[in-house]
Amino acid sequence: MKNLNSMRKVFVAGAGLTHWGFFPDQECYDFGSEAIFNALLDAQMEWKDMQAAFCGSVYQGTGSGHQAIKEVGLSGIPIINVENACSSGGSAFRLAYQMVASEIYDVAIAIGMEKMPRGPIPSTAFRPWELSSGFNVQMANYANETVEYMEETSATAEDFARVTVKNRNNGSLNPNARFQKKVTIEEVQNSRMVATPLQLFHCCPLADGAGAVILCSEKMLKNKIRAVSVAASVLTSGVYGEGALAMGTSSSLKFPAAKGLVELSVEEAFNIAGYGPEDMDLIQAYDTMAPAELWDIEKLGFCKKGEAPGLLKDGYFNIDGKMPVNTDGGLMSRGHPLGATGIAQICEIITQLRGTAGPRQVSKARIGLAHAMGAGPNSSVTILKT
Amino acid sequence: MGVNQKKTIRLKEGFWTTDSEYAEPRLIGSKCNNCGEIFFPKKEKGWCIHCQQKALEDIILSSEGKIISFSVVMQQPGGGFYFGPVPYAYGQVDLPEGVRVITIFTAKDYNDLKVGRKAKLVIDKLCDDQDGNEIMTFKFSPLV
Ligand SMILES: [Zn+2]
Repeated sequence: MKNLNSMRKVFVAGAGLTHWGFFPDQECYDFGSEAIFNALLDAQMEWKDMQAAFCGSVYQGTGSGHQAIKEVGLSGIPIINVENACSSGGSAFRLAYQMVASEIYDVAIAIGMEKMPRGPIPSTAFRPWELSSGFNVQMANYANETVEYMEETSATAEDFARVTVKNRNNGSLNPNARFQKKVTIEEVQNSRMVATPLQLFHCCPLADGAGAVILCSEKMLKNKIRAVSVAASVLTSGVYGEGALAMGTSSSLKFPAAKGLVELSVEEAFNIAGYGPEDMDLIQAYDTMAPAELWDIEKLGFCKKGEAPGLLKDGYFNIDGKMPVNTDGGLMSRGHPLGATGIAQICEIITQLRGTAGPRQVSKARIGLAHAMGAGPNSSVTILKT
Repeated sequence: MGVNQKKTIRLKEGFWTTDSEYAEPRLIGSKCNNCGEIFFPKKEKGWCIHCQQKALEDIILSSEGKIISFSVVMQQPGGGFYFGPVPYAYGQVDLPEGVRVITIFTAKDYNDLKVGRKAKLVIDKLCDDQDGNEIMTFKFSPLV
């Protein structure tokens, strides 16, 4: 395998997001193409500058990326559609990154877009008997993980409520978020039970939305205002022995995984980037469910198991804290259009590193990490730096 | 007769046995003769996904285990695949052979579900199918 460190440096040429919410009158191709226009504008580029396109989505059907790009301009460049569950956007980004790093192309665009089906997400990559048994309720799969987490740590429902409160505070500063209204601990704790012990306000909301990031070689870079480059882009999929109820797998009791999926992917990312957790100025963790943000922060190596709830309470993860987490409100405020989420997380890091995050700006942000999990399971880690 | 006789149908063949050799229904898993790993449900191809050898044979699993996690699902699952009652509960049970089983729970009162509590295998109705037949599946019930 070629060492990614030995390949050429890859820069963010431009990034674009749409507003995230419900767009009943639009197809995902409409806001997918809007994200592309926004990214092109930011990059000071035209579609004819693009040499390859990778489009992440989950529910949008065959060749959906082509449909979005068709609304911008077909130019014969390869368009690859990427379905990798909630890691689709991160996976598309990684492919675009590798293409530019390996000098196959000088400019590539990664797109993530999704118009969400309404109601609880119907995960379908299960066997028919598992679907008939009702094992595909992702909120309940997370709820089971939450029960295990509560057994192994001293985390409480109030700690989970605090994650929602923090992220909704951050979301109130993000004009693109679906939810821009703050909530209180009491409101979270009074919300209806969805799958014990998880309540409605522990769950990220659905949303439609899209994002796009254009990557390029140094020579092709046009918008040079605080240039952001890719320090690492890693994807790790399923390890033997580690349980993942989201894909119908339980842990092996005889041969448990020596290292979990998240631990493996973040270790690889830090190795490639040459940084450690202490070097990060902010992170976008994976908060599909409030408790998941806590164990994600721990698995990513920012603190020991069971420590995240206490640090959260002390304000450590606030925008003005020592390690800001989900500065744009995370999945919890932004909403979760599956295929687009990974790109949105990366866009927030870019915005913060450029210093253009306005009222939610983290001071002196130079390096940031984004992490997206996905059914599969997948774990995608991206590290960006100025 | 002419009237449709209501039948009981297994959700899937091969999950459990009601052989008279055993006093009660038992789950059927796979055990690897090479590395010792245990799987439930049994792997039809006989292929061990741990040591990656074709070395599996059937094993009859214990009917009692320990509850590791559970969630009571309060709303109808999406997708239109599930026709059982709501709320319903599912989670994980560890069996003494060394395998963690993902299972539906049945209980008189869901408050009886506790992590660490023993639970026992029951064969129980999941739902009716379109023709009114009863679909049966394996579940675990907490021992109070
Ligand atoms: Zn084996």
